[in-house]
Amino acid sequence: MRSSIAIAKKEILLYFTTPIAYVAFFATSFIGAWFFLSFTSEFQRRTMQFMQFQAPQFLERMNLTEMVAAPLIVNMGLVLAFVVPFLTMRLLAEERKQNTMELLMTAPIRSIDIVLGKYLAGLAILLVIVGIVAVFPLLLTIFGTSDAGSAVEWQTVSSGLLGFFLMGAAFLAIGLFISSLTDSQVVAALITFFVLLLTWVVSWKAGDLEGKAQQVMVYLSSVSHLVPFARGMVSLEDFVYFLSIIVLGLFLTHRSVESRRWA
Amino acid sequence: MIEVSGLTKRYRDITAIEDLTFQVSKGEVLGFLGPNGSGKSTTMRILTGFQPATSGTVKVAGFDVFEQPLEVKKRVGYLPENPPLYPDMTIRAYLRFVADLKGVPRKQIRDEVDRVARAAHVDHVMDRLIANVSKGYKQRVGIAQALIGSPDILILDEPTVGLDPSQILEVRDLIRSFKGKHTIILSTHIMQEVVATCDSVLVIARGRLRARDTLESLQQKHPGKSLEEIFLELTSNVRTEPGEQSQAA
Repeated sequence: MRSSIAIAKKEILLYFTTPIAYVAFFATSFIGAWFFLSFTSEFQRRTMQFMQFQAPQFLERMNLTEMVAAPLIVNMGLVLAFVVPFLTMRLLAEERKQNTMELLMTAPIRSIDIVLGKYLAGLAILLVIVGIVAVFPLLLTIFGTSDAGSAVEWQTVSSGLLGFFLMGAAFLAIGLFISSLTDSQVVAALITFFVLLLTWVVSWKAGDLEGKAQQVMVYLSSVSHLVPFARGMVSLEDFVYFLSIIVLGLFLTHRSVESRRWA
Repeated sequence: MIEVSGLTKRYRDITAIEDLTFQVSKGEVLGFLGPNGSGKSTTMRILTGFQPATSGTVKVAGFDVFEQPLEVKKRVGYLPENPPLYPDMTIRAYLRFVADLKGVPRKQIRDEVDRVARAAHVDHVMDRLIANVSKGYKQRVGIAQALIGSPDILILDEPTVGLDPSQILEVRDLIRSFKGKHTIILSTHIMQEVVATCDSVLVIARGRLRARDTLESLQQKHPGKSLEEIFLELTSNVRTEPGEQSQAA
């Protein structure tokens, strides 16, 4: 465990001495702010509309959690598919490229320590990204709270953020595995991006299918498991989906690292 | 301290090393000599547990490298052919990281890093990025890294390659200063290096053992020849023996 933490610390240090972490944080906060502004102004436009038409029954249903926070979190999930490949590309590919794998492999540590250390570092960066996303609903709470209570339902938002974190963790596991397969960071990033985007768009074709095939497509799609979280519905099925990707990704990475000891 | 027997490594149709058998005793400084591509690095990678052998066994301090790799790795400091450095880290951060990896107790990390930095003469550049120091310093950081945790055995793969003459002398002095504290295997293709630093020598060529002797008795066996000539003789006529045709098969 100690060597995992040593590796995680080294990776985090390198994330911050190279511009990767800063660029990832900048990208998520900028795109997040963009989404946030569009959703809030859309919310404002509709509210004005309903007020004009004097339609209180619609006004009553307007709520910031459902119309701003939830879609923001789901859309940020797509941003993760862009950011994660850049976080994971170097984790193992770079070690191989610059011969430092030889240091790790001849140190008195196990392959699993290497894999977990790398993964923990990715999770640490992901937590900061979750924090950045959490700032937007927080802004709504600070500036939108009235006598009627908080402007957003934090229960729902927290479940959404949890889903967002789980999805990021699953993406990291996929990216880490792909990084273990090549010594080219660019190739690792491109393949990871391709796979992550594929999990996002796979459900788009589900509408054309029927029965079991449709169910499978929907189940495979990462976004279809994020949406329930964002709506405040934490279900076992979605948990299992993300957790199985994490476990499978880490298991395959471990196999891949271990296989180099025998070649 | 190190017992190698029947060690063979094949890559598909290429035989990198064939049936190497030798021992290194405690405190010995062994020069591992051979032309480029003779299998020195491969042997060292197997000794350190970085690569598996095709057949044969390696025991380090009584532990089998394949059966108990962690026990072996705890006792071996290794400088690979290309020093395994992270260009974006400072020397201090790098050495601390390696100390952490090797399980140096937390409270002793600072002292241990200072100690190896002084021993390898990098203590005045500790806060510079590895990317920004010269090749000589990189090599010394690589040596410092191998020293962390005072391993019983040091395996140094071409520690002076690519250095300028004064740096070569410095590194040789450095290695001489480890004598008595560590058992050392040092690979090189330069004869003077062995003369300058080692007690005994092991010569391989084309993956086969050609000689395993002390420097004096090697010279006695080839009277009237310089070590340079002995080395050339040992490493050149490998193919002429008819019994070795099977090597290519």
